[in-house]
Amino acid sequence: MNKLYLWGIIITAAMLGFTYVSVGMSKGGLNGDIVNMLAVAGAVALVIITVFVVIKYVRQMQTDTAQGELAEESWDNIGEYKNPVPFGWAVMFLGTMVWGMWYFIAGYPVNAYSQIGEYNEDVAKHDAKFNAEYASITGDRLVEMGESVFLAECKVCHGLAADGIDGKAANLNVRLEAKTIKYAINHGSNNHLLGSEMAMPDRNALFNAATGALISDEEIDTVSDYVANGMSGAGKEIFENTCASCHGMDGKGMDYVAPSIATFTPTLVTNVLNHGKKGAIGTMPAFKRLNAKQKEAVGAYITNLSK
Amino acid sequence: MFHWLEKHPFFFAVGVFVAIAFAGLVEIVPNFAEASRPVIGTTPYSTLELAGRQVYIKNSCNACHSQLIRPFKSETDRYGHYSLSGEYAYDRPFLWGSKRTGPDLMRVGNYRTTDWHENHMKDPAAIVPGSIMPAYKWLFTNEADIDTAFAEQLTVSQFFSVPYNKPVPMKDGSNKIVEMAGSVAEAHAMALEEAQVVVADMKDQDVKDAVASGKIPEIVALIAYLNSLK
Repeated sequence: MNKLYLWGIIITAAMLGFTYVSVGMSKGGLNGDIVNMLAVAGAVALVIITVFVVIKYVRQMQTDTAQGELAEESWDNIGEYKNPVPFGWAVMFLGTMVWGMWYFIAGYPVNAYSQIGEYNEDVAKHDAKFNAEYASITGDRLVEMGESVFLAECKVCHGLAADGIDGKAANLNVRLEAKTIKYAINHGSNNHLLGSEMAMPDRNALFNAATGALISDEEIDTVSDYVANGMSGAGKEIFENTCASCHGMDGKGMDYVAPSIATFTPTLVTNVLNHGKKGAIGTMPAFKRLNAKQKEAVGAYITNLSK
Repeated sequence: MFHWLEKHPFFFAVGVFVAIAFAGLVEIVPNFAEASRPVIGTTPYSTLELAGRQVYIKNSCNACHSQLIRPFKSETDRYGHYSLSGEYAYDRPFLWGSKRTGPDLMRVGNYRTTDWHENHMKDPAAIVPGSIMPAYKWLFTNEADIDTAFAEQLTVSQFFSVPYNKPVPMKDGSNKIVEMAGSVAEAHAMALEEAQVVVADMKDQDVKDAVASGKIPEIVALIAYLNSLK
C-alpha cells in the first residue's frame, strides 16, 4: 500500500479520536441534544473529506505527467499550457460577471441599507399606529393625551402644575392674569390667537365709549382686575364700553375679530402652538413639530384646566 | 510594463495600493464632498454668537449636552429634524458631544427663548424640578471675549472661505448676509448692537445696565449662540 494512504488512515483516526475525546469531556458529552450531534457529525465529515481531498491531489501530483502544447509567453521561465478553459469554470466566470453588472446597476442601489430609509419607515409605522389608535379620540381621552403632551413639552416652562413657576411663564390655570392684560392694553397685541385676526391696538387707540376719551391708567387697572377675576367685580362698565366691541359683552370673543379673553378655547391654544406668542412675561416659541391631534389635545387639556 | 513591475516590488506595491485605494476614493470622496457642503439655511456665526460659542466651550457645556440628533423617531419627536453633516459646516470644532447627561441642544433655539435661558442659567432646578444642572451665575458678571471671536471670524473667513459679507441661501429662497466687521472697534460695536436685541428680552437689571454701558456679559453672548441653534 502506498505510504500516503497509511498516513491518511493514521491522521483520520487521530483526529476522530481527538474529536471523540473532546466531545466526551465537554458538558453534555455524546448524549447532547440534536444540535450538538449535528455539529459532531459535521466535524467527522470535515475530517474525512479533508483527508480524502488531500490524498487525491497529492496522488495526482505524484503520478500526473504534463500534457499539451506550451504557450509562447513565459514568466520567469514558468510556462503555461494552451489547454482550453474548463467549461464549468467558464460558465461560472461569465455568470459572476453578469451578477457583478446586475449588482452594480440594480442590486446594490435598490437594496442597499439606508439609515434614513429605516428612519422613514419607522416614522410611517408610528404615524399609522398613532392614527389608528388616537386619530378619533375625544373627551376625557383627549384631555388625558393633552396632559401627557403637556408633561413632555410644556411643563419645562409652565411647570408641572401649569402655574408658570412663579411668573416665569403664563399661569394656565386662569385665562389671563392682571399684569398680562395690562401689558396687552398698554402695548397692543398681535399673537394670531384666532389665526388671522387684526392686531389689537395699544392704549393710544382704545377709547372708552362712555367718557369718549382714551382709556386711562386707572381704568386700565380696574378693567384688568375685572377680566382677571373671571369677568366679575368692578370694571364691568369700562369693559363694556371699551373692550366689548371686539371681545364681546361676555368676553368670549368674536370669530375673525378677537379671541376669547374669558376662557381658553382649543383653537386659541392650537394657534399659540403654531405661531408662538409674545407678551408681558416674554416670548413663547412655536411648537410646530407637534402633530395636529397633539395640538388639539393640548388645547383640550388647557381649556379643561381653567374650567 | 507588467514585466517591469514584476521586477520592482516597491513600485508594484505602490501600484497595488493605488488600485485598491481607488475603490475607496470612488465610494467615499463624492459622498463626503456632497454631505459636508453647508446645508441651505446654515449660516456662519455672527461675532456675538461666536463669542457665545466660546463661552459654551469654556464651560464645557458639551460634556453634558450633545448637538447631534440621531435619525430615530423618539429623538426627532423631542428635538426636531435629525442632524445633517452639512449643518456643521461652520462649526470649528464641532460640538457633537459624546454623552447626554442633559438634553440635546442641536435645535434648542427653536423651542427655548431668551427669558427662559436667563431664568434657567440662574437656577436650573427652579425651572426644571429635579434638574442636576448647576447654576451658572458667573456668566452674568464675566465679560464675553469679543476680540477672540472677531479674530476667529477673520481666520475662518480667510483660510476656510467661510462666507462672511456674502449672500448665503436660506430655506425660503431668500439670501442672508452675515456681516463681519472690518476692524476690532467695529466688531465691538456690531456685537453690542446684537447684544441689545438679546438683552431687550432679559430681566436682570445688572445685565441690562452692563450692556447699556457698552459691556457684554457672557450670558448675553451665550444666549445669542443658543438662540442661533436651529
